[in-house]
Amino acid sequence: MINLVQNETLKILRRRRFMVVVGILFVILSIVSYSQVEKLNRSRDQNWRADLQERIARYENWVRRARANEAWVRSARTEIKRLQFYLDRDINPEAPTVPLVVRVFANAAGWLLPLLVAVIGSDIVSAENAEGTDKLLLTRPVRRWKILTAKLITLLMFATITLVVGAAMAWIVTVPFLPARGWDMPMFNGFQMTGDVVKLESIRQLPLWKDALIAYGLEWYALLAVAAVSLLLSVIFKSSAASIGTMLASLIGGTILTRISPDWTAGKYFFVSAIPLSDYYSGAAPPYEGMTMTFCIGLLAVWAVGAVVTAFVIFTRRDVFG
Amino acid sequence: MPDIALSAENLTKVIGKKTIVDSASFQVHEGEVYGFLGPNGAGKTTTIRMLVGLIKPTSGSVEIFGYDVRREFEKAMRCIGCIVENPDLYRFMTGRENLEHFARMLGVGNGEIERVAALVNMDHRLEQRVGTYSLGMRQRLGIAQAMLGKPRLLILDEPANGLDPAGIREIRELLRHLAEEQGLAVFVSSHLLAEIELMADRVAIIHKGKILREGPVRDLISSQRSMEFKVGDVGRAVDVLRALGVAATADHDRVFALVEEADTPPILAALTGQGIDVFHARQRVHTLEEMFLEATGGETVD
Repeated sequence: MINLVQNETLKILRRRRFMVVVGILFVILSIVSYSQVEKLNRSRDQNWRADLQERIARYENWVRRARANEAWVRSARTEIKRLQFYLDRDINPEAPTVPLVVRVFANAAGWLLPLLVAVIGSDIVSAENAEGTDKLLLTRPVRRWKILTAKLITLLMFATITLVVGAAMAWIVTVPFLPARGWDMPMFNGFQMTGDVVKLESIRQLPLWKDALIAYGLEWYALLAVAAVSLLLSVIFKSSAASIGTMLASLIGGTILTRISPDWTAGKYFFVSAIPLSDYYSGAAPPYEGMTMTFCIGLLAVWAVGAVVTAFVIFTRRDVFG
Repeated sequence: MPDIALSAENLTKVIGKKTIVDSASFQVHEGEVYGFLGPNGAGKTTTIRMLVGLIKPTSGSVEIFGYDVRREFEKAMRCIGCIVENPDLYRFMTGRENLEHFARMLGVGNGEIERVAALVNMDHRLEQRVGTYSLGMRQRLGIAQAMLGKPRLLILDEPANGLDPAGIREIRELLRHLAEEQGLAVFVSSHLLAEIELMADRVAIIHKGKILREGPVRDLISSQRSMEFKVGDVGRAVDVLRALGVAATADHDRVFALVEEADTPPILAALTGQGIDVFHARQRVHTLEEMFLEATGGETVD
């Protein structure tokens, strides 16, 4: 099995797709880093309290005017309460530091990394099919389930590496410019709304490093689910373009769908709705009612296990034609 | 009697309502080159895919050195080296990386890579990416890959494809060498009749999913030996030949007779004795090509 995983790893690296992914991460994080440095420079001669108050006012204004979309109003209200909470306790939640950038990246990763993992995962089987190499791969004295297991392990490994590389890079590109300390800064999470009131008792205060670990842990879990679903698509489709296309369309389309039509409540059972786990953990309101953390984790588990089982059934039984 | 390397028993594949392969049965022995001949679309590749476990037969079974391909897949595949259809290898990796990839799947060491590379004379190109190879080079690399782990049965689909005449001869000599000196069983498919004729010991002819004929190449050819006569009076000539107990048919100004060259003089004497002009007489050796046309009813051969 180690030999097989080594083979799959080598194939991903030789295809250079992973390097492109790392390159994209680097570029995006460089831009983030730059904007954070700018922010730091600005905040030196600016009152952050005034800044927070201004943002709260803007949200309130917006809530008053935009009645049309329930979900947006709800998430804006949550944001207002969250900012107010920091303001009341005299904590600047956004003074840019390296740890904060690393922590914030966990949330950004919820939107960005699934796309990158999908790019690697969606062609792990379909590319063999498209390039005709499956005929050799599947006529060696190795059972098909072992080959697919090796591919799954490799994919989960790369999903993990992508997240670790992303976090490490967030640190590397910001550390020359921003204050590196602040891992113990208090973070507040768990802003839940009951009607219009924030339930204060559900708010947790954690040191930043612990908070970041939880956020990254959740994101890692979501990425594994994305990897599992892309494995299935990669087994179903015969061409890399079709499987990558379908996976990216699901991810992007699904995300857009949750924003523009929150009334279509069946959307909450679509795995894409649950992917920004760390975002929800940090206090962003999920797009549909009833999407608790437990629901999201369970939903992803069901999708991931279902996808992997289906992929194995199809892959081990099907006829391989040209 | 050499061991049976490959045995296909009533192999059938039905897809939808179409029967792609219709109860094909054949056996390949150790130490022989077995030709699998048929036009494109005859069911050659589907048959090969069933032999190597890529496609599940609708009915029938395949055994490789006694191991059932479906029930004892790993044991059966350990005896096989194969190229199915095109020699598709990982284009983004070098020749060596490709060989290492498949060597790891077999659990064989790097010494094997040097051995198989030397076998097909391509040690000097191993460090280049397969994407830069010509079809001929890929064909060689495919054969090198198939030879990894010292298989006892080689299954090669159109191995002459993309090779220049010198390359074809090289492959032919290599395959003959492997069969004769090392006792391998070699199963070669082709639509090139001349190739099979030169290379194979036995041959099966497949058309529209059915095996039309099977047997030693030499038998199939010599059994079809006949003489061609150009004569003045075709009708009377046929009568004379039939009177002598020789099967004969007429075609324009020619008469074809199923007779050995050695038995020709008395026939010529009889014809001229009856006052029939004989302009020429020559021996016809039916090539596989003609046999094939005859067996398939003259349908196009690619």
